[in-house]
Amino acid sequence: MTIDARAFSIRVGATEPIYRQLVDQTRRLIASGQLTAGDLVPSVRDMAAALAINPMTISKAYSQLKAEGLLSQRRGLGMAVAVPEAGAGTLAARLELLKPALERAAQESAQLELPPDTVITAFKRILKGRK
Amino acid sequence: MNDVVKLAGVSKAFGKHMVLNGLSWTVERGKVIGLVGRNGAGKSTLLLCALGIYETDAGSIQMLGDRVPELSDATRARIGYVPQSSDLFGWLTADQLLDYFRAFYPRWNDVKVRALLNRWGVPRDRVISKLSGGEKQRLSIIRALAHEPELLLLDEPVSGLDPAGRRDFLSELMSDVVDRETTILFSTHILSDLERVAADVAFLKDGAIRLHGQLDELIETCRRITGDKHSIDALGIQALSREENVNGTVSIVARLDDRHLRSVETRNGALRVDRIAFEELFEEVTR
Repeated sequence: MTIDARAFSIRVGATEPIYRQLVDQTRRLIASGQLTAGDLVPSVRDMAAALAINPMTISKAYSQLKAEGLLSQRRGLGMAVAVPEAGAGTLAARLELLKPALERAAQESAQLELPPDTVITAFKRILKGRK
Repeated sequence: MNDVVKLAGVSKAFGKHMVLNGLSWTVERGKVIGLVGRNGAGKSTLLLCALGIYETDAGSIQMLGDRVPELSDATRARIGYVPQSSDLFGWLTADQLLDYFRAFYPRWNDVKVRALLNRWGVPRDRVISKLSGGEKQRLSIIRALAHEPELLLLDEPVSGLDPAGRRDFLSELMSDVVDRETTILFSTHILSDLERVAADVAFLKDGAIRLHGQLDELIETCRRITGDKHSIDALGIQALSREENVNGTVSIVARLDDRHLRSVETRNGALRVDRIAFEELFEEVTR
């Protein structure tokens, strides 16, 4: 199956560049199971025309996803969702998904002038409370 | 020859009003570059000088390796241009205009011309003076794309189009970039369009290119940093803009390398660090 380019949407005027939005949306589509191993993502050409965005932006997003092991090049077909590797790969990938939230928390902690140790202790407590 | 457009020390004044002031700039092949600047910054003048339509007072310009203003016909045929507004040839119909221009070019893509005329609903047998502003602009774009130029200069090409029309035009442009690696120099004040299609942006201010960079990279590395004057100065960062706030703090907008990004973002409390969007960056750099 090839997912429709319209499954992706671009916000202009954001503090996140467009290639990053595409990377994050693809990750979420994979994480939520809307894209599964073997599914094809739109070609650079289709995506560029459908979203009216620069083809280099799309190539950049795809190469990053490829480097992360989420997409792989399928000869003659295009880019497809990779078969997830067991173990370390998926842990790193899942951690990567959490990173934006952590970065936001880090920034707000700094603005509130909270010492890092205090924040980490509080976060540990929250993590334990969840279990 | 990877520099498609090359300007060196270009100056242009109108009377006493200096518009371009020793401007040096290069545009690489295959890039889509947004040229931005405040009203009257000289975007149109820059494009018109590059095309050899305006004579420059100083400096040199090369387009596709050929010297301006003595561009050969062969080089001209590889360039396309959409002016900000065009009231020429009002007595001709769209079909007549296109037939007329076709004679000048060795290449002319009839199939594409017909498809675009239909898709964009440009009346073919009404005289141009009777067309709406948007229709004239669409026709002007079709005329510029018809000979499949390697280099396309667009001066506010979408100002007369509604959002759907703009979107369709930008899609067409991007398909062209994929198919033929067209180099596009795009001047506009509609930043949202530019953000979609431009890989690079160049900010024109005070007669020179103040900043030129990859748009993604600029958005990822530029920050607004606010703090007391001493802490800001202690950073030793070269700022793109600097502002004293009413409460006595200072805000700067700066492009940070990895080392500076890490150091300001881990500095507890003393500084407030915010990401900025393209529009804010535009305001800061062109202020």
